[in-house]
Amino acid sequence: MERILRINMTDRTAIYEDVPETYKERAGRWLTSSIIHDEVPATCHPLGPNNKLVFSPGIVTGTSSPTSSRISVGGKSPLTGGIKEANAGTGWARRLANLGIRALVVDGQATDGFWLVKITCDGATFEPADAWTGEKLSAVYPTVFDKHDGVETVDICSIGVAGEHKMPAAGICFNDQNGRPSRYAGRGGLGAVMGSKGLKFIVVDSKGAPGITPSNQEVFDGGRKKMAAALTEHAITKPEGALNSYGTAVLVNIINEVGGLPTNNFRYGRFDGAAKIAGEAIFEGNKERTGSTLYNHACSPGCIIRCSNTWHREDGTEHTSCIEYESAWALGANCGIDNLDQVAELNQLCNDYGLDTIEIGGTIAVAMEGGLAEFGDGERAIELLHEIGQGTPLGKMLGAGAVVTGKTLGVARVPAVKGQNMPAYEPRAIKGIGMTYAISTMGADHTSGYTIAPEILGVSGKLDPLNPDKAELARNFQYATAFIDTTGHCLFIAFAILDIASGFEGMIEECNGMLGTAWTADDVGRIGKEILDMERAFNQQAGFTPADDRLPEFMIYEKLPPHDVTWDIADSELDKVFGG
Amino acid sequence: MIEVHLYGKLRRFAEDQDVRSTSIVRVPWEEGDTVAAVVERLGIPRADLGSNLFVDGRYADFNSPVSDGARLGLFPDDMQLLYKWYYAPKQASASASGNRDSLVDDLADASASTNEAQT
Repeated sequence: MERILRINMTDRTAIYEDVPETYKERAGRWLTSSIIHDEVPATCHPLGPNNKLVFSPGIVTGTSSPTSSRISVGGKSPLTGGIKEANAGTGWARRLANLGIRALVVDGQATDGFWLVKITCDGATFEPADAWTGEKLSAVYPTVFDKHDGVETVDICSIGVAGEHKMPAAGICFNDQNGRPSRYAGRGGLGAVMGSKGLKFIVVDSKGAPGITPSNQEVFDGGRKKMAAALTEHAITKPEGALNSYGTAVLVNIINEVGGLPTNNFRYGRFDGAAKIAGEAIFEGNKERTGSTLYNHACSPGCIIRCSNTWHREDGTEHTSCIEYESAWALGANCGIDNLDQVAELNQLCNDYGLDTIEIGGTIAVAMEGGLAEFGDGERAIELLHEIGQGTPLGKMLGAGAVVTGKTLGVARVPAVKGQNMPAYEPRAIKGIGMTYAISTMGADHTSGYTIAPEILGVSGKLDPLNPDKAELARNFQYATAFIDTTGHCLFIAFAILDIASGFEGMIEECNGMLGTAWTADDVGRIGKEILDMERAFNQQAGFTPADDRLPEFMIYEKLPPHDVTWDIADSELDKVFGG
Repeated sequence: MIEVHLYGKLRRFAEDQDVRSTSIVRVPWEEGDTVAAVVERLGIPRADLGSNLFVDGRYADFNSPVSDGARLGLFPDDMQLLYKWYYAPKQASASASGNRDSLVDDLADASASTNEAQT
């Protein structure tokens, strides 16, 4: 019997509720967005007492389904002022699911310091956590593991100093399989929401947990096997395939080649030093420094793709994990930094201080534009990260993100939508992703739906801004993505399931096996639409209008080399995506 | 002259094979050059290539024309992460989309790239 666990930080009580009838098929992003939509006043202050923080494992999380250990985290975002769902891959998600907890809802605010909540079979207990504040997470996690019987027994969710200071660039951190505090529900400042509750850690111990069992084992197993076969077969997701060998940073050279790698705060589409910070350089550099070939590891139990990398110092010791494509770009190319050791240090400081690498890379780049450092000055960038870690006034400005930093420094070129800095795809060169940035309920977010208009890159001739298919494609990708975020699978299964029909069927059958539903492919679109409709309704009530579904103005008047293109998708085209 | 940028295991066809730089080969341009013709002159086996082929930073395929002075970017089959359905237009699909419904067909149609159709 799955339940909802509600924790009130004001009086430190915990109660279980049955999952209401209306939510009985919902999990992951579908459930976090439902609870935020249904229970949180859209006009509340994100750091005030009326916001809630919701955690929900996906529909198949905790089962033997491959690559499915995602945890969705939802709340009203202090960065965007709208609804937020950020997700991460971690064993923490599996433990919560196996305890039969479909959602964990954190409410209220502690006024007497920071607290650790421990969730076990027997319920939730609270203990003071002030002794662990103000420290780097890599120093803190081992001691919390020691106290709670180790990574074999528990997984830890926490905030770093950025969340303690309630900075809008603060993420929520989870440990990977080796106990590293390195897997983030990074975007949108949910770490600040957790900090505003006075919640420092959520330790989950699944000893004696009942586990979750499918409604129909046979249907579930059939689906799970199809999913595993698709992931194992596909060139991108298979063992020793692109992601397993080079990590997501394999994209650095590729996006650079197409002229879409934002460089020096979105000034250029190509970076001269791209190859130095790319997946190949990480793979070969590790080989030279450790003397062995390192394939990547799984961030969470049961993953077939295994894309999470490590980077090693000259003496062979581990420096950081994981340098994702987004992080290599944000802390590298976007700041003009081509020194992999400096990028690794910046990445590790984000992990240690509890920061979203994308927002912080974007912020440092805006700060460079505003004269706080020269582009390419990695040492100065590292100093700026320490300002954030120390919570100095300068650090707090940076920790508030790119928009606040741009405003403070008088910078007009701030590449953000709805207050959130763009990730690593230049929308002027890759216009489909620009549409996603513009219309996503999350602010500029590449994971809301990868849509890249073909005509811009010359596959099929002329741009036709009135082509209705583009709007339809943008919409359908967002629906499919919202559904995947509900299943508990990592978004990277998309490569395999869009190419291999049986993989897509497998995803639906797994869900049917778990829930006893009879969903077909039609339901993927229906559920995706339901999620997006709720999120859009929340944002509308929070004050968003179509004017917020726009890219920053400088992209309209400034040409991006090497293709010398501007953002030229009509506003009416953007509004058409959701018929707004 | 054509400038060919090689990545991953294709770097073996260049003199500079350092992964921290771009491995570039310069090839004399010939009238009517296509990606396939240049690839053949370089002696790169087709099996080593995937769908991530770019002419002047634009997604291309083996039949794409290559003009004098062009920059050709080639990624091997095990690195094709910039996925073809990011780019492909909605068009008659050669892929087996089975019984999947319109949403999936839309996505699957997008995955049938010109590249795939022409190779």
